[in-house]
Amino acid sequence: MPIERAVHFAKHALRRFWRGLREWCGDAAYERYLGAKGRPDAERRTLTAKEFYVEQINRRYSRPNRCC
Amino acid sequence: MRRVLKFVVWLSVAVGGAGALAKVAFDRGEALNATWFVVAAVCCYLVAYRLYSAFVAARLLVLDDRRATPAEIHDDGRDFVPTNKWVLFGHHFAAIAGPGPLVGPTLAAQFGYLPGTLWLIAGAALAGCVQDFIVLFCSIRRDGKTLGQMAREEVSARGGFIAQIAVLAIMVILLAVVALVVVNALKSSPWGTFTLAMTIPIALLLGVYLRFIRPGRVLEASLFGVALVLFAVVAGQWVAASPSWARAFTFGGITLAFLIIAYGFAAAVLPVWLLLAPRDYLSAFIKTGAVLSLAAGILLVRPHMMMPPLTRFIDGSGPVFAGKIFPFCFITIACGAISGFHSLISSGTTPKMILRESHARVIGYGAMLLESFVGVMAMVAASAMPPGVYFAINSPASIVGGTPEAAAATISSWGYHLEAGTMANLAHAVGEQTLLNRAGGAPSLAVGMAQIFSSTIGGDRLLSIWYHFAIMFEALFILTVLDAGTRVGRFMVQELAGRVWKPLARTGWMPGILLSSAIIVGMWGYFLYQGVVDPLGGINSLWPLFGIANQLLAAVALVVATTILLKMKRLRWIWVTLVPMVWLVAVTMTASYQKIFDANPNLGFLSKANSLAAQIASGQILQAKIAETQRLIFNQRLDAAVTGVLALMILVLLAEALVQWFAILSGRREAILHEAPYVATQWAPGFTGTAPGDD
Repeated sequence: MPIERAVHFAKHALRRFWRGLREWCGDAAYERYLGAKGRPDAERRTLTAKEFYVEQINRRYSRPNRCC
Repeated sequence: MRRVLKFVVWLSVAVGGAGALAKVAFDRGEALNATWFVVAAVCCYLVAYRLYSAFVAARLLVLDDRRATPAEIHDDGRDFVPTNKWVLFGHHFAAIAGPGPLVGPTLAAQFGYLPGTLWLIAGAALAGCVQDFIVLFCSIRRDGKTLGQMAREEVSARGGFIAQIAVLAIMVILLAVVALVVVNALKSSPWGTFTLAMTIPIALLLGVYLRFIRPGRVLEASLFGVALVLFAVVAGQWVAASPSWARAFTFGGITLAFLIIAYGFAAAVLPVWLLLAPRDYLSAFIKTGAVLSLAAGILLVRPHMMMPPLTRFIDGSGPVFAGKIFPFCFITIACGAISGFHSLISSGTTPKMILRESHARVIGYGAMLLESFVGVMAMVAASAMPPGVYFAINSPASIVGGTPEAAAATISSWGYHLEAGTMANLAHAVGEQTLLNRAGGAPSLAVGMAQIFSSTIGGDRLLSIWYHFAIMFEALFILTVLDAGTRVGRFMVQELAGRVWKPLARTGWMPGILLSSAIIVGMWGYFLYQGVVDPLGGINSLWPLFGIANQLLAAVALVVATTILLKMKRLRWIWVTLVPMVWLVAVTMTASYQKIFDANPNLGFLSKANSLAAQIASGQILQAKIAETQRLIFNQRLDAAVTGVLALMILVLLAEALVQWFAILSGRREAILHEAPYVATQWAPGFTGTAPGDD
């Protein structure tokens, strides 16, 4: 039983780590965009993954995002 | 029972921290072990976080988790993205951690390890973390507004304009000085230059992959890119070993400066997806990995401090940079204890992603504690090498001499023993032609890191690989700051120029892009060139200028924060921001005054200019060198003017704020806060839905 619990805990921790890593590095950004509730273009047209990627990095690198 | 146990644990942490700090401060016996530094820093951070940040959160800011954050209200999946606390902590830390906390403490080690270490710990806990935390809170309450917008709304329109100019000025100085650090690290180093040059085609490859082949798959692309970069580090030694290839990648300071200027221009003009973004991904992964490895290396190796706690240079006669502990230790450490630049991150990207107000504590206060710890590690790495070696690497040739014999004689005469052959052997061991006169902090930090890493893995055999890995890591993320900063600077120039002629503000208009990019690159490029040709190595004048600009921006942020707290009627606790603000104003004004007017030509810009002018007048300068000397005189006067303008800006902003504070306190003006309206969160207790990322 304790081994099962440990395996379950490890699986859960790994899953959370993987999800956090994908969010941290930006892999999950498009999924987040698709699921966003307040998306202004939700009623009009959804950007493709390619369009979203270019639009997102253009916005990110137009303001201070790396420090000294 | 649990409460008693908690109390005992925290008491032990506090007593342990105090004991370790006392050991660092007062022990004058054998060389101190680095473990004491780690224990002192970590315990102090834990106590500061547990007590001081909790006090600021509960009493001063009164964080309210029932209030919806901008991320919840707007949630557009682009800027406003509700993000898990720890993921956002990682984002925020990756954004604020730059070369400053590595280079600053390394340079400040010239005073010995004690002053810098104490300021890194105390400055972060009482000033830097407070600034980041409170600016983040203020921005959250204002829909993620920037520092400039908050200054305009809460202080005055003029205050906002001053903040905008201050940001541009600091950006120019920052980009110049970090570029100079890279130039000094890569000068006459074919291995380092090759490795860094290779990161450009690797980034282009990643850019194409992420744009056309697997859009947005950053993780897989970055891991592949990191593997290529590590291979480039190894391949660099083959380049250095081949005479013809080595010649192709061996450059002097001026050529390297122009190459970096050209790179900065290209990065500002080219599409972001092609070069800038993929380089940033590479840098983020390598930066995180290198910082974690350094921490692990220090804990495993536990090196002894070879540097004394205080050196003879506390009197202001230091060879790395001139000036006494007050104010120059604080100006030099800058980002590791408090960084004005962080207020731009805390009031831009992060507040739009925060899920709950209470998360601001760990993200704002906590991430800055971690940055301070990076500074402590840099101090340990710099202090773990013999002081003679440290001064030989970081001192300019005009002070210690250009040959190993001259440098050894001069440095030994200061009381820090150095054999003439030591530097040649060390240079050979790390695969460099020379390590003498490499001011800028990067090479000495790389030597320190390489010694720590090679003591863990590989021994002396891998010293040269570790050295070039460390140089690549520093240069890579310095260039990331450089290209991202140049692009942001371009937008700032376009915004300002648009006030004169509207088309210039159009971000898609190519002539406007080229002109504004040329202006921003020309501005920092000029300071870079000036630093490269400076006989004192450039760092001597540019790093303090950068420190002053950075700390002035921190003062601007604290002025804005204090004004907002005053309007929130938190008078009782106003000292939390007021005291660091007064301290920063005192430090920056003293440093500015000394850099402009001090009679010592090594310290004061004007006295240096006057002394050079006197040398020309008395015929001590050769005819062929007169034009060059006149350029040096002009540069010294320009530096004095820039310092004066920066100091004047903060004084004007301070005067604006004081008028406002007086009017509010005397009841002549109503304290109008420009907060966004209160919206109750849907994620408060009782709400049955799930907040994305909050599990």
